[in-house]
Amino acid sequence: MDINPDNCIILGINPGSTSTKIALWKGRNTIFSGSVSHSPEELSVFDSVKDQLDYRMQAVEELLAPFESYMKEMCIVMGRGGLLPPVPSGIFPMNDLLSDYLANNKTGEHASNLGGLMAEVMTKKYIQADAYICDPVGVDEFDELARVSGHPEFIRKSFYHPLNHKAVARRHAGIVGKHYEDLNLIIAHMGGGITVGAHRKGRVVDVNNGLDGDGPFTPERAGTIPAGDLARLCFSGRYTHKEIKRMLTGNGGLLAYLGTIDAREVERRILIGDDFAETIYKAMAYQVSKEIGAMFTVLSGEVDGILLTGGLAFSELFVGYIRERIGRLGQIFLYPGEDEMGALLTNSQLILLGKANIIHFDQRFLS
Amino acid sequence: MEATYTTNLHRILVVNPRTCFTKIAIYDNNKLVYLNKLNHNSEDCHKYTRILDQHEFRRKAILDDLKKADIDIDKIVAVVGRGGYLKPLKSGIYEVNELMKYDLIHNPAGEDSVNLGALLVDDIAKTLGHAKAYISNPIVVDELDDIARISGHPLFPRKSIFHALNQKATARGFARQQTRRYEEMRLIVAHLGVGITVGAHMEGRVVDVNQGFDGYGPFSPKRSGTLPAGDLVRLCFSGKYSKEEVERMVMGDGGLAAWMGTEDVSKVERMAYNEGDATAKLIFEAMAYNVAKEIGALSVVFNGRLDAILLTGGIANSQRFVQQIIDRVKFIAPVHVFPGGDEMEALAFNVLAALRGERQISIYE
Repeated sequence: MDINPDNCIILGINPGSTSTKIALWKGRNTIFSGSVSHSPEELSVFDSVKDQLDYRMQAVEELLAPFESYMKEMCIVMGRGGLLPPVPSGIFPMNDLLSDYLANNKTGEHASNLGGLMAEVMTKKYIQADAYICDPVGVDEFDELARVSGHPEFIRKSFYHPLNHKAVARRHAGIVGKHYEDLNLIIAHMGGGITVGAHRKGRVVDVNNGLDGDGPFTPERAGTIPAGDLARLCFSGRYTHKEIKRMLTGNGGLLAYLGTIDAREVERRILIGDDFAETIYKAMAYQVSKEIGAMFTVLSGEVDGILLTGGLAFSELFVGYIRERIGRLGQIFLYPGEDEMGALLTNSQLILLGKANIIHFDQRFLS
Repeated sequence: MEATYTTNLHRILVVNPRTCFTKIAIYDNNKLVYLNKLNHNSEDCHKYTRILDQHEFRRKAILDDLKKADIDIDKIVAVVGRGGYLKPLKSGIYEVNELMKYDLIHNPAGEDSVNLGALLVDDIAKTLGHAKAYISNPIVVDELDDIARISGHPLFPRKSIFHALNQKATARGFARQQTRRYEEMRLIVAHLGVGITVGAHMEGRVVDVNQGFDGYGPFSPKRSGTLPAGDLVRLCFSGKYSKEEVERMVMGDGGLAAWMGTEDVSKVERMAYNEGDATAKLIFEAMAYNVAKEIGALSVVFNGRLDAILLTGGIANSQRFVQQIIDRVKFIAPVHVFPGGDEMEALAFNVLAALRGERQISIYE
């Protein structure tokens, strides 16, 4: 690959559950960024996420058609990482084993599994470019202590939003003029899922399992649930496995209490005096604060900054609730939103600058 | 064994029914004059499906033992027991009444030998004829803030079930030591025993605490604490385990017992540090790590403005365990250690304060 960081054209592909976002960059400059949304009706004809590949590729190629001239100079196609087994943080060149793993949803089915697959299809057409994914869900830098749950049948897993956690951490390190690897940070990613990670010198040594494990509840997920009560409900015969799964993910949290996942709607209700909405919203902030407090002890109180990111970090009210609880613990920095596309670009540039931790996905990750 | 009789003598019998033994004590005012652990026949403890059916043999054992020890039971003015799984109530001292007994017999919130406490003391007080029966600070003491009741799903309200008796006694003891009032202090109290509960004591009220019975929080010698919810659900629906088996994983056979085959912390500590057992070391340290995390979580209740962190319970006897916690939480507030935690004394002192009119007697309703 002819590596000239300034001339290389980079394509980022980010498939989400209801849209596919793409961006085309030259150096740090954006040539094009766009998104195509997929309605539930359109997606309903597909049995599995993998079957959406051709359909989504076609949509992306239509978006990119006006930029054909740039595509010849494309050297990197960076897809959003999907669900992988435990792997280190870094950048993974696509290979047959990785494609097979993502296509067959071996860890779990998620739209982001298409990121690497779409990148790979692109590089079949533009053979001078290489396909990668970066910081996929599955990044695991846990201390052994963090893996131990209260029963050997249950191992605590590193299951969070590494793409945004790591990108925000590096961005913050850049702003304060330090290396990420020299900092101790607590990062709370607060979106549809909420994950609070203890970053010790560049490694996420503990984080709540934000998919369906433990931690704060979120706009749509339940977080920690009393174990005995949950077990009894499972055996009650009143609910199917699928129904209980929905209580934990998709139908828990704000949605279960207030019938909406939209924090702005909840705040509107609070403004007009809905006390119940206020209690629930405050309880969510309380639980995020508690998780941050817990992570402080993981770092023995030696914390250089508390970083709040994700969509909820836009809310002054929500951030205010958290600040009341943890303001004295340490300095809070806001990185609202979730810049996944920016993270794909940053990681691509690490490759061009020779600073990337390139990891070849091979058999050692499958044992 | 007889104390000098004074006109102000309050002789108190304390009854603490546990898994297959009953601890009894006699206090003359604040002085312990008799203490015994009555081990029951293991067959007796296992032959009944309901724990409440153990009432009769335990009652007999208590009265026989007091007779054998030549205790003048006529001087007993109060009999106090561990409170059981009653309806949620405020902390305090309660006289046993019919409603309390009804709830323990017909709809206890949980099945445990402590449920026998109120029933045994009521029975014994009636046998004595001149004594009153009390319970104090049962595990269902509930002073939670509303915000602490909210879990991630309305079907699962967070509940207050914890070692209220020892946590409160430790906190009050510390307040006395500091010559301050418990009601004006901000404390985190971690009870480290067979179960582990960590409570945020906000000016006399435990406004948040992990549900240490079968809910969430750090794992303990016998309990699992927080388990990953999705994995737990998958296990329940796997068909590989019965409801009872999963319940035992959560409570009874979880925690140290599940990982190491023993609930004996000092044994695990020896394995870890004297015999070089790497797993034992990891699990021992993970238990301390999780206690520290719970303390850190509760520190946000006070936004860092708290007076002290108190460690109590049997495991607080392990200097190594305590030190591992202190290293992680000392940045929050000064840590004080009160190993053990004497439930018998806590019960006796609470009732004594009530008999002396220093604290009110509450009514269970």
